[in-house]
Amino acid sequence: MTAREIVTRIQQQLASQKITWRTETVDTFKAGDPDTPIAGIATTGMATFSVLKRAAKAKRNFVITHEPTFYNHQDQTAALAEDPTYEAKQRFIKEHQLVVWRFHDHAHALRPDPLVAGSARALGWTAYASATEPRIYNVPPTTLGALAAGIARRLNGRAIRVAGDPAMKVARVALGPGYGVPPLTTAFDVAVGGEASESGGNSEYLADAAAAGQPKGVILLGHMLSEDFGMFEAGEWLRGFLPDVPVEWISAGEPFS
Amino acid sequence: MTRRTFVQAATAPILVAHQQAPPPQVDLTVAHFVDRIRAAVGAWREKTIDGFKAGDPSVALTGVAVTVAARLENLRRAAAAGCNLVITQEPVFYGANDEPGNRASDPVYLAKTAYIEQAKLVVWRFADHWNTRQPDPRVVAIADALSWKEASGNDNIYRIPETSLSSLIAHVTKQLGLRGGMRSVGPPDMRVRTVLVSPGTTDLTSTVARLKGADVVLAGEPREWEVVPYVLDAREAGAAKGLISVGRIVSEEPGMRACAAWIRTLAPGLRVEALPVSDPFWNAAS
Repeated sequence: MTAREIVTRIQQQLASQKITWRTETVDTFKAGDPDTPIAGIATTGMATFSVLKRAAKAKRNFVITHEPTFYNHQDQTAALAEDPTYEAKQRFIKEHQLVVWRFHDHAHALRPDPLVAGSARALGWTAYASATEPRIYNVPPTTLGALAAGIARRLNGRAIRVAGDPAMKVARVALGPGYGVPPLTTAFDVAVGGEASESGGNSEYLADAAAAGQPKGVILLGHMLSEDFGMFEAGEWLRGFLPDVPVEWISAGEPFS
Repeated sequence: MTRRTFVQAATAPILVAHQQAPPPQVDLTVAHFVDRIRAAVGAWREKTIDGFKAGDPSVALTGVAVTVAARLENLRRAAAAGCNLVITQEPVFYGANDEPGNRASDPVYLAKTAYIEQAKLVVWRFADHWNTRQPDPRVVAIADALSWKEASGNDNIYRIPETSLSSLIAHVTKQLGLRGGMRSVGPPDMRVRTVLVSPGTTDLTSTVARLKGADVVLAGEPREWEVVPYVLDAREAGAAKGLISVGRIVSEEPGMRACAAWIRTLAPGLRVEALPVSDPFWNAAS
C-alpha cells in the first residue's frame, strides 16, 4: 500500500465516523513522495529530525505527525529554502524514502479527541473524567504542589511550568491539549495543557484572581508532553482499520533539558 | 476642576494680591502627558494595540507607573504610590485586544475594572511603539542586565566571554530573577560565544536568519512548534546551536524598567515608578 492509499483509507474511515473531510486543512503531505510503498507507519506528536531517524531505523517509512515538520503551522518552506537544517532534513527524508503526512485537524475532530484522551491516560486521569462537563477531570483532592510534583514524576518532565500557590487546594482540573490550554474561569481550580502565550493569558488572569482572593493554578506540560501521547491513541485508531500495516508510536518527547 | 486646581485657584488671588493675576495654572492631564509620549515616539501607527484601555484620561496626572503587566497587585501598588497613570506592555484584560470576551461577567475581570474605577486609575498600553524603537530597547536592556556590552552589529547578536551553556543559564537565571520559567535546549557543556537576544515572541523567520551567526538564542516566548523544534533539528543536523527560553514577561521586564527611565525624562518633577513583575512560573519537578 502507498502512503496516498493509506490516507484515502483514513478519509474513508473518518467519513464512516461522520467526520467530513475539510477543504481547508493542514492535514496534507508535507514531505516525500505520496506514492511510495509503505513498510510501516510511525505516529508521533512531532516529526522532528530525531523522530525521522528513529522511524527510518524501525522501517516505519510513513510518518504521521500531529504537529508541523518544518517549524510553522502551515509548513511553509519558502523562508527555509537555503537553510542547512531544512536541507539536511529534506535530504534525509529523500534518502530514506520517508513520507510525512500531518494528522492534526481531523485528529481533533475524532470523538473522543485522541489528543485529550492520550493526555488524560498519560496523566492517569481517565477515570476522573466528568460525565457531564467536557475537559473537566475531578481528581482526588490534593494541593497544586502535590499535583504538579506527581505529574512531573509520572511524565518524567524536566521543564513543566506551574503558576499559582503550591499550597492551594485543587480538585477540579480542566485539561486541554497542545496550544488549547483551557482559559481559567471560576468554574475550576487548575488549567492543564501544553503551551500558551503569556500575553493576556492564564498566568495574568491567575495573578489577578489570586489578588482578588480566588486562588487558581496553571500547569503547562509543554506541547509534546501534552500531545505526544495522543498520537499513540491515534495509532491505535489506525490499527483498527489498517490491520496489514505495522503501526508504531515514536515519541517526539520533551524538547527541553 | 480638580481639588488641586481648585485650591490653587482659590489661593492665587491672595498670593498675588498686588500683581497682575497670572494665567490660571492648568494641571497636566493624563491625556496631555500621553500626547507628550506620542510626540516623543514620532510617527504613530494607524493600526496599533497601543492606547487607553481603562479609566478617564481627562483627569489630572498625579504620577506614572510603568510595568510589563498591569496586574491587579500592580494597580494597587501604583495607586498606593500616588500614580494614576499605569503604562503597561502586556494586556490588562486577558486578551490581545483587551476585549474581555467570554470573561465580561467574570468576577476576576469585574473586580479589576471595579478597582480601576474606584482608584481612578487610567491604564494605557505601550507595546507596539516601544518595542519597535531602534535599537530594540528590550534587547539593549536585557544585554545591560546581563552585563553584555559588545553587540556584533544591529542584528541583536552579542559576543560574550566564552562560557558553557550551563554557566550561561545560571547567569541568566540569576540576573533576570528566573524560577521555573527557565527552559533550555542543548547540552550543559556546549561552548557559547555569541548570543542572539530575541525577547517577546521569538519568531521563526528572524531566528532562522540570525541564528546562523550565533551559538544560542536567548528567547522570550518561542513557540514549541516553531523555534524550539528548529533548534532541536539544527542540533540533530550537526550544528552546535542552543536555546534558552526565559518566558515572555521575564524577557520584557528589563525593557519596561528602561521604559520607566525614558518616561522619567519626559516628566520632570513628576513621580515615575517602575513596578516589577517576576517570573510567574515554578518548575513542577523542583
